[in-house]
Amino acid sequence: MAPVWLDVVDETVRVCAAHGRTDLVRRLQQKRAQLLDSKLRVLVTGEPKQGKSQLVNALINAAVCPAGDGPTTSVPTVVHHAEVPTATLVHTAAGEPAGPAAVPDRTPVPVGELASRINASQAGRPDGAVLHAEVGVPRGLLASGLVLVDGPGFDGDGSGFNGDAPGFNGGAPNFDGDAPSFGGGEPASRVSPVASPARADVVVLVSDATRELSVAEVDLLLRMAREHPHIVVALTKIDLVPHWRLVADRNRQHLASAGVSAPLVPVSATLRLQAAQANDQAINAESGFPELIARLIRSHRAKRDVLAPATVGLLVSTVIQQLATPLRAGLSAAGASEPLARLHEAQRALDQLRRCSTSWQNTLGDEMANLLSDVEYDLRDRTRQILREVDEAFDAADPLRAWGPFQSWLETACTDAAEANFAWLVQRCDWIVNRVAGHLAGYGEDGVPEWSVETPGALSERLAAIEQPNVERFTPLQMAFAGLRGSYIGVLMFGLATTLAGMPLINPISLGAGALFAGKSIRDESKSLLKRRQATAKSAAQRHVDDFFLRLNKECKDTARWVQHLLRDHYTALTEQIHDGIVHSARTAKQAADADAVERDQRHRDIQAQMRRLAVLYERAQQLAAARAAPTVGGPAPAVDGPAPTVAGPAPVAADGPGHRA
Amino acid sequence: MTGSPPLGQSVRALLTNALELYHDSPATAGQLHHQLSRFEEPLRVAVTGPWRSGKSTLVNALMGEQVAPVEVPDGQQVFTWYQDGSAPHAVAYPAGYELPVSRTADGMSVDVRRWQPAPVNDLVVTWPTRTLRHTTLVDTPAVPDAGVEAPPTAVADMILRDVDVVLYLTRDARDTDLHFLQRAQAGLVARAAPVNLLLVLSRADELGGGRLDALIAARQLARRQHRDPRVGSLCLGVVAVSGLVALAGRVLGEPDFAALATLAATPRAELDGFLLSTDRFIGQQFPAPVAVEARRALLDRLGIFGVRLAVTLIRTGSDSRAALAAELVRRSGLTDLREAVARCFVDRREVLQARSALAALESILHTDPRPGVERLSAGLEHVLTTSHDLRELRLLAWLRLHRVGFDGDLAAEARRLVGENGTGVAARLGVDRPTTAELWRLSADALARWRELADDPVLRLDQRRAAQVVVRSCEGIQARLRHRP
Repeated sequence: MAPVWLDVVDETVRVCAAHGRTDLVRRLQQKRAQLLDSKLRVLVTGEPKQGKSQLVNALINAAVCPAGDGPTTSVPTVVHHAEVPTATLVHTAAGEPAGPAAVPDRTPVPVGELASRINASQAGRPDGAVLHAEVGVPRGLLASGLVLVDGPGFDGDGSGFNGDAPGFNGGAPNFDGDAPSFGGGEPASRVSPVASPARADVVVLVSDATRELSVAEVDLLLRMAREHPHIVVALTKIDLVPHWRLVADRNRQHLASAGVSAPLVPVSATLRLQAAQANDQAINAESGFPELIARLIRSHRAKRDVLAPATVGLLVSTVIQQLATPLRAGLSAAGASEPLARLHEAQRALDQLRRCSTSWQNTLGDEMANLLSDVEYDLRDRTRQILREVDEAFDAADPLRAWGPFQSWLETACTDAAEANFAWLVQRCDWIVNRVAGHLAGYGEDGVPEWSVETPGALSERLAAIEQPNVERFTPLQMAFAGLRGSYIGVLMFGLATTLAGMPLINPISLGAGALFAGKSIRDESKSLLKRRQATAKSAAQRHVDDFFLRLNKECKDTARWVQHLLRDHYTALTEQIHDGIVHSARTAKQAADADAVERDQRHRDIQAQMRRLAVLYERAQQLAAARAAPTVGGPAPAVDGPAPTVAGPAPVAADGPGHRA
Repeated sequence: MTGSPPLGQSVRALLTNALELYHDSPATAGQLHHQLSRFEEPLRVAVTGPWRSGKSTLVNALMGEQVAPVEVPDGQQVFTWYQDGSAPHAVAYPAGYELPVSRTADGMSVDVRRWQPAPVNDLVVTWPTRTLRHTTLVDTPAVPDAGVEAPPTAVADMILRDVDVVLYLTRDARDTDLHFLQRAQAGLVARAAPVNLLLVLSRADELGGGRLDALIAARQLARRQHRDPRVGSLCLGVVAVSGLVALAGRVLGEPDFAALATLAATPRAELDGFLLSTDRFIGQQFPAPVAVEARRALLDRLGIFGVRLAVTLIRTGSDSRAALAAELVRRSGLTDLREAVARCFVDRREVLQARSALAALESILHTDPRPGVERLSAGLEHVLTTSHDLRELRLLAWLRLHRVGFDGDLAAEARRLVGENGTGVAARLGVDRPTTAELWRLSADALARWRELADDPVLRLDQRRAAQVVVRSCEGIQARLRHRP
């Protein structure tokens, strides 16, 4: 009967495939195969120089991993069972970059030369072509299928300080493409795939007893606890440190406060190797290794029943959280679909257009009214100016003689005034057009209607020529008559006066006075005639200018109205056109939004169905994890409370401690 | 020294000029006065490093007494300064109150019961001892083992601002340690003469699981590190030291020696099993007649490695307290360290202090610019580029980085002549117990050889320049020989 966890994994694989997450599928399938494998892969990891290689060596009582003071381990070593000792270097085919397609070469090397060969190949090939080393040793511990992986140390900062930074991947993604972690930010991302935590069943974090767990180590533990139910913290080098129990207690506190449920096993590789040399069971027991080994063997035995379900529980939970994130995002994003947004946009645009069209109409009307009054005033002002000049001119000049030049001057003045006025009108109209066009500029319709107004050239012709006013001339007959009238009065006045003196009525004095009076009377007559002529001329000119003003004013008003109508027609048409466009797009948007709503509803239901499916899976995964937690460690608390017995007597507790009842 | 305008003098002149410029700014003037007065003080050596890298142990080992750390209440981050003086006392700054100091069996302890709840940055401990005559030791708070977070930290900046030279301790040199070293080389002055840092592989006894040859292995590791260009370019050298063993050697008392001698007298076959681990060493059924308390004390003082080493040393002939102590100190690497400090730092005290003063001036000019600063900046650059002492240091740094392409032998000779092994005449010429005639001959040879190189048209310009610096150093050697009594 297939175990429950296998169902869960297969179901999750199907879900992932349905979501198109091939990366997760590959990852799960790899994990599935790994969990079905009867071997137990134990990854030994930790910061550099903590005694990882020494721990592996001490576990199997053989110096297979190069351990020592010099360079830290840069190439992972995989230790497995073999009838006779073997050693193999696995590296990428020469000359090829490490990539997913590369098939690794395998070179058998003598067991004793492994360390030197690794160093030589590292030095010889700067691209670090050696992926990992494999060592087979005949050991009872490994015979059951335990595989130990001595991983390179992770530095809190990245590359190793010792000048031999591991660069197996050459920047390429991991060798066979399986991402080492889900959460991202995995420090081991540059590490060869055999040493990636994803490939391990059990992780042993090595930290030496000379100091407490560092922040980086706790971080690493937290990350790995997401995928690995079985993590062991090995506190090494306890033979060196007198107060290691204090450090161990502190570390357990750190683990508890970080929420990592990993047991802490104090070990001493030196004692273990010494015990092996002296064949001394007491020293062996003191070294702490029996407990560590017991834990590993326990994990191995329970791999199918406890470890696998627990791992699957954690893994599937992580995967489902990953799958659910985009779905959740999809649900929340569904509120604002694209067609609906377009519909809203169209409605907004319509409102906008309405406001816009009112405003341009207002502008046009106001501006035109202003224009008309301004132009009229301007014209009036100009004609008044002309009239003033006419008055001044005819105050002095005699129309009889000056009429000719005056007539041509008046015509020129009128034409000039008309032209200036008209030019101003055109300018103002132009400005108005631009202002109105500005209102609609936002619609990309900034085209100004074609319009042109010409100064009416034939203005003066169309205007009736100013007619010569009917002026009275001072004829010689009138002159003679006026002279006679004057002289008569003079002769009579002075003749009568001199008769008193005895002189005749007609005497030289009366004749002289008559001549004098005649002259005066002629002068007076001609002056009053001139006045009359000037008044006539003025009134004629005034009449003419009034006519001119009337006519021109009409002309200007007509032009302005014409422009107003032109603009109104043009922009009304334009507005209608824009309006039609917006209404059309609103209509299509509405249709699309309706269709989309249906579709979204469908998708919503789909997502919810998927979420329900995920929830069921998650529930099962949680049950798997919980089933593990209950019999194994009972959550983080026992792992923290448990140190006392494990420290007091590792071996017996290891056999039937609280950790194992599966 | 060999420079024609002595570096110290020109730097003092610069500082005096700066004082005139900044006379109206009390804070800056205070800093400048402080820099001027530092010339009269001993060299300031900071012992720093990440958390639990063995800083206090090394301070104790260097002083030969159990003085550090001063346990400060509330776990405040306090710089502890150890300076020479006639009577022991301790003052907490900036609050400025005194703390009573009492002598213990092998050192001193500061009575912190009268600690007042006030912000304390610096604790200045005056302690009469010969070691402090030429150097002031500074036990700093841990440089945060940032790694992930931003490396620029207040502690690192304060260390670099207030001290002349730095011993940077690390358990296992890794990249996070490089951050500090790189930080130390920021700035014009620092780049011009990157000569104030030694990297110390502390806790060397823990290497290789505490085997008897751990210290030898650590020394090899240190050499390898120094050859790494990334490390070699940032510090003067790498030294491996076991602070615990060194300290034990320096304060080894008769009771300790007696206990160790008893252990050594026990047959190896019986004893070895109990030296395997600390638990076994203080456990029951111990074969030698040494009380548990005594064994515990030995373990605290020496560590299990130290006990193994001491027992082996007694067995192989160091059978008196003095002989054992001397051998422990020698083996621990402390001798190497003190020699390196003397050679690289104390001998060049004046130059290093001038360098710190220049760095401080540079930062003042940078942070508080005002009219007239340009002249001072120019003066500073002038000093940087013309001083022969700094030129020597710069050349030394370049030679270490292999930026000047001399061959191996020539490069080594150049390094020696410009004072890599010490600024004494004999050290520069590379002879141990020379006669005056020999010195004259060697210096004349060197001078002739380097003169030739300085004029060799085949060489590149930078090589000729480097050779000119070496020639100048050779001339300095001869000048000193001439003035010898």
